[in-house]
Amino acid sequence: MLCERCKIREANIQYTEVINGVKKDHHFCAQCAKELDFGPYSAIFDSEFPLGKLLSGLLGIGEEQQEEKDKAHQVVCPTCRTSYDEFIKNSRFGCPDCYSVFDLLISDNIKQLQGSECHKGKQPKFHREHSEAAEGNTEDISDASKVSGSVMPKMHADGPAEQIRILEAKLQEALKREEYETAAQCRDRIRELKEGIERC
Amino acid sequence: MLKWFEQVEPERPAVISSRVRLVRNWNEYAFPSRLAQKESMEMIRRLELGLSDLGSLDGKTYEYAYLDELSELERKALRERRVFNSTIASKKTPTGIIISEEEDTSIVLNGTDHIRIQLLAVGFHLEELWRRADQLDDFINARFAYAYDEKYGYLTSFPTNVGTGMRASVVLHLPSLSMGKKFTGLVSEMARFGAQVRGLYGEGSENYGALYEVSNQKTLGLSEKEILDLVNRVALQLITQESQVRQMALEKHGLECADEAYKSYGVLKYARRLSAKDAMVFLSQLMSGIADGILELKEPCSMYRLMLGLQPANLQKLSDRPLGKEELDAARASYIRSELPELR
Repeated sequence: MLCERCKIREANIQYTEVINGVKKDHHFCAQCAKELDFGPYSAIFDSEFPLGKLLSGLLGIGEEQQEEKDKAHQVVCPTCRTSYDEFIKNSRFGCPDCYSVFDLLISDNIKQLQGSECHKGKQPKFHREHSEAAEGNTEDISDASKVSGSVMPKMHADGPAEQIRILEAKLQEALKREEYETAAQCRDRIRELKEGIERC
Repeated sequence: MLKWFEQVEPERPAVISSRVRLVRNWNEYAFPSRLAQKESMEMIRRLELGLSDLGSLDGKTYEYAYLDELSELERKALRERRVFNSTIASKKTPTGIIISEEEDTSIVLNGTDHIRIQLLAVGFHLEELWRRADQLDDFINARFAYAYDEKYGYLTSFPTNVGTGMRASVVLHLPSLSMGKKFTGLVSEMARFGAQVRGLYGEGSENYGALYEVSNQKTLGLSEKEILDLVNRVALQLITQESQVRQMALEKHGLECADEAYKSYGVLKYARRLSAKDAMVFLSQLMSGIADGILELKEPCSMYRLMLGLQPANLQKLSDRPLGKEELDAARASYIRSELPELR
């Protein structure tokens, strides 16, 4: 069916209007729909309505338990200062460390998105903490990056304490939902991490 | 030096091109969205310096540039030629690009991720492209340590790229199959297998030229080999079905098919004004006619090259000045007239 407004493009939006009990169906293409005024629904047809938001909707699934999650939403990556809220909003991580910081909060969502949560395939052949800078520039560059504060600390350096915080939030959440298996896993992991910290 | 898309590969005419893209991040910096201008510049400079001998790996000649040094038009033209996507083309923050003379190999620095390696080739060559991408990846990795996690693999800005960071895709010409009613169903069926099929120049019936891109949806939990197999399998499935439908059309409506191909050639060769839509449709029909052996050009000529060349920014580049819509249509017709060889 062609769009009733421009009569050029295929209509892919059906709009049903009920005025004084009289029902009327309209068929528009996406472009015309965008130009028309649908009151509060107009935003849906706005080209600015980003697909990314759909993704973030997916990543934020289960947000109805807002209060329980509040704790988790306050988690901030210590390296790049990206908060969990920001991550959900933009569907985008701020730095490599975000993965370990938000790990427990995102692993289910990543699984939903990717159908898996474990990498399979190529691994880096060369894996060093710091790579060589190009010849002759090593010194001034490392100085410059120290000043700007962008050099990643050792991966996971701020991990354990932050992870424990998240785990404790998760643990409480699991207990509320009576998911005792998850709770037990969290408890064990917290214990492991705490022992790890003490040993250090 | 010929650009990669100027080559002609007659073997499997339905497969236009193959592409392998890898994204990687350097573990010393935050992802691009969190990098300040100064840090971005510094990182790009270090990466370009470290990769200044890239040519020693594959014998290619590379050009090193910053995106903001390129004109708006040049950026658009590169996007039309699929060197990078529109997100990168419209990026305002510092972005570097290393690109081979043939434009078949490119590395975008500080795009949405620190390093985006892309290899393109005419025809069906995913394995070969992956082999080269793998080598390039090791070459870069020997100089710059990657952000990598045992569990999540290569870490990327977007969770949709994490794991292998790999997108493998092929562009297929599916003029007959896509006209059928079942095509939409077929496309969603492919999604169940983890492959995405989308129109290269628009969705549904507005995808003039009938070019479709098949790529992997997921990047985590599949090895690179499995991703290649998946895309290969789906692409082969689609071109087999396309050729069956086309065969049927040729048997039942041979005259119409021949008429369509010759008329398309006639319009393309003699028209004085061509809209992008018309040009795409006629080139697509001519491409089918050549593939079916209905007509033959005196010299081999890639229709895909013409399809890239007739896009607005590439035409404007040819004429060296901004063109209005009417002028653009005239320039398009003249471009195709001059590029299209005679019939044999």
